[in-house]
Amino acid sequence: MSARRVEPVRDRKMLTRRMGSAEAWRDTKMGMWAWLLQRVAAVGLLAVIAVHLKNPFARPVQTALLALVLLHGLLGVRAILLDFGLPARWHRLLFLLALLAGVAAFTGFWRWRWY
Amino acid sequence: MVLKVFRWGPGARERLQKYWVKARQGMTVLDALVELQRSSDPTLAFRYACRVGMCGSCAMVINGRERWACRTLLSGLARGPVTVRPLYHFPLIRDLVVDMAPMKTRMLDMKAVFVPGHRTTDGDGFAQVGSRSRERRSIDAAIECIGCGMCVSACTMVSHDARFPGPAALNRVFTLQRDSRDGAHADRSEAVLAEDVLTRCHGQANCTAVCPMEISPTGSILALRRRAVLRLFGIGPR
Repeated sequence: MSARRVEPVRDRKMLTRRMGSAEAWRDTKMGMWAWLLQRVAAVGLLAVIAVHLKNPFARPVQTALLALVLLHGLLGVRAILLDFGLPARWHRLLFLLALLAGVAAFTGFWRWRWY
Repeated sequence: MVLKVFRWGPGARERLQKYWVKARQGMTVLDALVELQRSSDPTLAFRYACRVGMCGSCAMVINGRERWACRTLLSGLARGPVTVRPLYHFPLIRDLVVDMAPMKTRMLDMKAVFVPGHRTTDGDGFAQVGSRSRERRSIDAAIECIGCGMCVSACTMVSHDARFPGPAALNRVFTLQRDSRDGAHADRSEAVLAEDVLTRCHGQANCTAVCPMEISPTGSILALRRRAVLRLFGIGPR
């Protein structure tokens, strides 16, 4: 069995979502936000960790580090749970739970500061 | 109501053309397009067949979201002009009409075609999978795909990687890999384990969100991945 290609698709005019336009973001779905937030948090972490290593005692940097670690990590847990067989239709609920757990953990941890 | 409709034809420049339509109660986007074509612009090209939400041929991007035009009420859309574009990631033929052939090509590339296995020749007549069997229930939703292409249009990875077969083809692969009558599981496993296939899905679930049949291609892809991992450890079917 072999696929017959009549004409290469790349040579033909095709529309793609223009992410620079408002229309492309008008109906962004929750799963997309979950994915995007996790990636943005990862990039943010790279910058914050670099600053944190220079001065580990700066409060704003610590705050940002904790928030980004929780966001990135908990969204990762969501992805793992889906990978391991939780119904895909739960992905929105898991996103919300990850955000709620993140806020709760951030608040609890910040209040508990031991120094 | 103002409709901004994507217009393009070979040799012409693309543009959004504004039309004014008197929105009546119960009027769908497809009704509006048909009215426009009949009353003011017979050159406007779009595709439809059943008009009742069964065939999926009127799939378009309406106000930024993939929808079937025949089931989208104008009154259900946000206020302001309604923007209508053809599906993304399909070659354009004209205006709102796209060429669906690449979706079939992707399916063939993934060997997403039923190949009779030994069970089809067992006994008399056709081998059957009981409607209440576990095997059948595990693919119940996934076999309802009508091939409308909305999932392919909504998938961002299709846009980034031309070799990614997309949600529809992988959903079809999933149904065949779960079919005990099929005889090409091993061949198909090889196809989906290629670099740009299963691992390319980022689980954004855009396909699941727009599917008019409420299928979850994301779930199908995740199930194929689990199957592939089990096979890697030698404890699962091919």
